[in-house]
Amino acid sequence: MAMLCRRMLQQFNVGLFRSQWHPVSSSSVPVMGSAKVAYQPEPSEDLTSKENQLEEVLTDLTSEEKHLKEALKHPDFFKVADLFTVEDLFKARVHLGHTDGSLHSNMTPFIFGSRLGHLIIDLDQTADYLRQALNFTAHIAFRGGIILFVCRSPQHQVSVENWAKECGEYAHTRFWYLGTLTNSTVAFGCVTRLPDLLIFLNTLDSGLEQHRGVEAAAKMLIPSVGIVDTNCNPNLITYPVPGNDDSAASINLYCKLFKNAILRGKEKRKELLGL
Amino acid sequence: MSSSLFQLFRTGKLIQNGYSVSCKALHSSQQFVKATTAARSQNIASFSTAVSIADGKTPDDQSQKMSKAMKAYMNRAEAHDALMAEETAEYEIGRRHLANIMGEDPETFTDEDRDKAIEYLFPSGLFEPRARPYLKHPSEVFSKRKEAEFDHSGRPFHTLFYTGLPNYFQILHDITERVRELDHFASRMSHYNVALDKDKSLNLSSSEWLTKEEFEIKIIEAMKDYHYEFFIKSMNRLAAHPLSYRAKDFIMDFRKNKPIVKLLQEIPKVMYTAEGVPYMTETGRRKTATATVTVYGRGSGKVTINDKDILYFSNLQDREQILFPLQFCGVLGTVDVVAEVEGGGTTGQSGAIRYAIAMALRSFVDLEMVEKMRLAGLLTRDPRSRERKKPGQKGARAKFTWKKR
Repeated sequence: MAMLCRRMLQQFNVGLFRSQWHPVSSSSVPVMGSAKVAYQPEPSEDLTSKENQLEEVLTDLTSEEKHLKEALKHPDFFKVADLFTVEDLFKARVHLGHTDGSLHSNMTPFIFGSRLGHLIIDLDQTADYLRQALNFTAHIAFRGGIILFVCRSPQHQVSVENWAKECGEYAHTRFWYLGTLTNSTVAFGCVTRLPDLLIFLNTLDSGLEQHRGVEAAAKMLIPSVGIVDTNCNPNLITYPVPGNDDSAASINLYCKLFKNAILRGKEKRKELLGL
Repeated sequence: MSSSLFQLFRTGKLIQNGYSVSCKALHSSQQFVKATTAARSQNIASFSTAVSIADGKTPDDQSQKMSKAMKAYMNRAEAHDALMAEETAEYEIGRRHLANIMGEDPETFTDEDRDKAIEYLFPSGLFEPRARPYLKHPSEVFSKRKEAEFDHSGRPFHTLFYTGLPNYFQILHDITERVRELDHFASRMSHYNVALDKDKSLNLSSSEWLTKEEFEIKIIEAMKDYHYEFFIKSMNRLAAHPLSYRAKDFIMDFRKNKPIVKLLQEIPKVMYTAEGVPYMTETGRRKTATATVTVYGRGSGKVTINDKDILYFSNLQDREQILFPLQFCGVLGTVDVVAEVEGGGTTGQSGAIRYAIAMALRSFVDLEMVEKMRLAGLLTRDPRSRERKKPGQKGARAKFTWKKR
């Protein structure tokens, strides 16, 4: 159990320290876990290490726990890299950013360039971040986690709710009450299980300020995946995905990809864990 | 299928948000099944059947992990069910007592009989109906509660659970979907040059939207005023669509029929004398004066008050008051008026006659004129009467002279 917790923490660490921008290779082969991590448990020869002692003690893991461990060892257990190509992103207009003047300083590493005053997002980077996000989403679904889709643009509200329903998860495309996550017992009137992952199709609210759910998720240590446009701040998001969040084509593409990743995770859950 | 159900009850350490609490609660599975009677999702249908299968078969040391949320819900549901059972039993005893008091057979004692009996035994002079004593079944008294909103693992059933008002926002979602559907249908109609059928269009004149209170009760969710206002705005947009008849069931679900408002006073029909002259008699009162007036049609404009001419009133203003309704309806020279008046003074008597004439004239003129008379104030019984003098004051309102020192 402790091993599993440590593994999960490792995943979070990979996300939380994302501000240390590592040089991303533009190869099509996904390289998982390439970020520098604070802690990396490897089965070492030294038997006095605490981790090995624990390994020996916990040999009688249930098959469920064994499956969960195995899944985490694989860099792309659910083969999310097969879900899309860079060309799909281009066709869905994911590379189209806002104007030069509205660029957020934290988004500069993701920009390919600018043309006629409009910014172009680097799709190679987007592809890499998107694969990481999809992989994480699939793992959360594999473990029976609650996934909450958040979108605040009026054009896409209803379709996001539909996408969420299709994959058996949840959506919040309405006004965000400040205590939804931080004061859930009062907000819902009963003890509630909080979402295990928040997916932001828009990190900005209707007033072009950052969505309060981003901060709330960070406070409650709930990992978040977020589509960050050129005018957004990716700082508080665990798995930012630089890309266009305004076109219907791009939103539908993201929803489709997340839905497929979630369904793959759930399929594996049924297959391996029988749940 | 059964193997996966049994696996549900193994001591699998399901990784949840750290909220999982193991509890040996299989014995309360029966209450759980009762508490979640509406099997809204397949999860719960399978779980409840699983419970009934597994009940008694799993060994004692195996405990079923239940989320904290579910445990809390179950406690609340159990408490509520116990309360309802207690209240229902008490109500039943009370109802039977009431039937016995009234000398009726408790088996055939209907709800109408029960209400009448309460009204008879506890007559109340209170104006507000809700303040009067009543005997009602607990299901009518205690507000409806939502059933289990999440399953044993804490996963909510409703996709929009985390919005806080899932039913409300689901309705808004449905409205948007309907409007899109109707727009799509309209574009297809125009593509195939199909004309819009005006006869089919939705008629909403005999119904009105549910009030906020009624809406809250219907969806079992309390909301703010702006939520309700936005809902009405959205529904109006849907109803205003030319093809809204295609969404009739959905729209009418949130409307209630307007009560049929009959004319507050049914205008009596004219009566005829032996000679065939139409006439109408009305009584009017003003300020302690009472007047009984008969207006005859096919007349010449003669006015008789207490067997005297119109000059019964020496004051011009009083005479004008009497003639005003006749002049307003344009029947000055075509009707005769015979009035008997007593009590009050000149103003009171003339006012009473005027009111009585106006009420009688309703039977002679059309509804449009009646409405005009109503707007002119001719059909309003003037309620003003002399206000009493109060002690410590010179008059009703006038105070004694104020002296500084």
